[in-house]
Amino acid sequence: MAGLERAKEDWYPIAIAGSTVDGEQLDTSLLGINITLHGDKDREISVTADGNNLPVQTRYDHVWTTFSENPRPLFDIPEADEAGRVLVPCGVVRVKCSPLRAVENFLDIAHFPFVHTDVLGAEPHTEVEPYDVKIDETIDEVIATKVKFFQPQAAKSAGDGIVTDYVYRVAAPMVSILYKTCPPKPGSQDVITLFVQPLDEETCNVWPWMALYDYENSMADMISFQQMIFVQDRSILENQLPRKLPLDPKMEIPTRADMTSIAYRRWLKRGGAIYGALTEAV
Amino acid sequence: MVTEPVGLSNNLPIKRVMPARVGDTDIAVWRSASGVVSAWLNRCPHRGMRLSHGFVRGESLACLYHGWQYGCDNKCKYIPAHPALEPPTTIQTMAYTVVEKHGVLWVSLDGTPEIPALFEKLQPVRSISFNCSNEDVLSALAETTLTCDDGQVLSASDMQSQNILILDNPQNKPKLAVLFQKSSAANVTAHLLADNSWSIDGLIRISRWCELVRRRAEIKIPDNRRNL
Repeated sequence: MAGLERAKEDWYPIAIAGSTVDGEQLDTSLLGINITLHGDKDREISVTADGNNLPVQTRYDHVWTTFSENPRPLFDIPEADEAGRVLVPCGVVRVKCSPLRAVENFLDIAHFPFVHTDVLGAEPHTEVEPYDVKIDETIDEVIATKVKFFQPQAAKSAGDGIVTDYVYRVAAPMVSILYKTCPPKPGSQDVITLFVQPLDEETCNVWPWMALYDYENSMADMISFQQMIFVQDRSILENQLPRKLPLDPKMEIPTRADMTSIAYRRWLKRGGAIYGALTEAV
Repeated sequence: MVTEPVGLSNNLPIKRVMPARVGDTDIAVWRSASGVVSAWLNRCPHRGMRLSHGFVRGESLACLYHGWQYGCDNKCKYIPAHPALEPPTTIQTMAYTVVEKHGVLWVSLDGTPEIPALFEKLQPVRSISFNCSNEDVLSALAETTLTCDDGQVLSASDMQSQNILILDNPQNKPKLAVLFQKSSAANVTAHLLADNSWSIDGLIRISRWCELVRRRAEIKIPDNRRNL
């Protein structure tokens, strides 16, 4: 299958750390392959596929696994270790779309006024100003900077509408990290990530995770805010045709606001990260 | 390709959009503020979003995802992310021929509308969808009868050409016609048209009758095959 070998080199989230109890077995799927997560006495977790152990690590509040004995290193989020941040695993949302479609939607700001109306955006504030995008070859990431957008309620901690600054990183084909203006702590940035578990090419589990400066809101409120946002995204993601992400530019017409998406698609194609993608026009 | 009935005119008021299916083709049908009907491939050219989830503004259909607006000439009129930009005329939806006749919306995928001339005296009643195969619907239809206001009992006669089922058709004056929309193996949509002999109570009876047909048709298939 196209892109499977490349996809097997990456780490993927399959559970929230500490969420399994001793002796519990959890069956799930990764890249179309059945895997089982085994909860252990001391909360050490093992993951098996067809009886064989897979590499496991716990990071960013999630359990990660890979099919490779020599995987690409898990990406770094230095901010995760900063003192004072509240770390918020937001649970899981099952979405019937390509894992790549889920990531691309996360990189998109032009949909805010229409999909997250009166929260992350509102008409008439629909304009997307020019921003910078690059494919950083040395760290092999897509990075978008100087992204700005007017938001009525940028976060649970935001009061009135503000112009929010964003930086986006695509740190792996199925991992995106955004940094955005932190309403209660000017000068700092909230970190919000989308970790995507590809169940197969057209179905994924999305594990949003946040590292915020927010001491006002309860964990439950922050999680439900993020879940509300993502469930709105799901109504889009499950209605895009085709379900896989088309990489041929003839299939879908972009505009200047889609610079990040264009770079993401190009980067995927160039790196052979085409699991969940359509490489030719249909 | 036969022209397919995809809905009833009175179920598509102005400034509304609805999804439809002709065989494997996903379609969005919408009516502008001035009443113009369009039928398009149900896919925004920008990022593939189903246009049937969009919203009508004046003479344009806007995609729900990014608000791109497409006019009745199928061309993109407005991209909200770039309000000052004149969208290139190459950005357009994939349009099909749609004709409104006999109170029914007819779509032709290949551009040549062929609409049966049989229904001049018939009025649209309602549409109904079945989560089962065409055969299940036809066999449930054969098992049920419908009573007219004058006491006459109707039963399904032979299937006419073009997927039209006529109920009691002695002198080519059908009291009730069922138009079947070409659909998938596990899903059938039908549109009901009645002549002017039916009272309001009679039309309600027609509506209940087709729901009875649906209950019987859907019960014919085992649960694990049901497309719930």
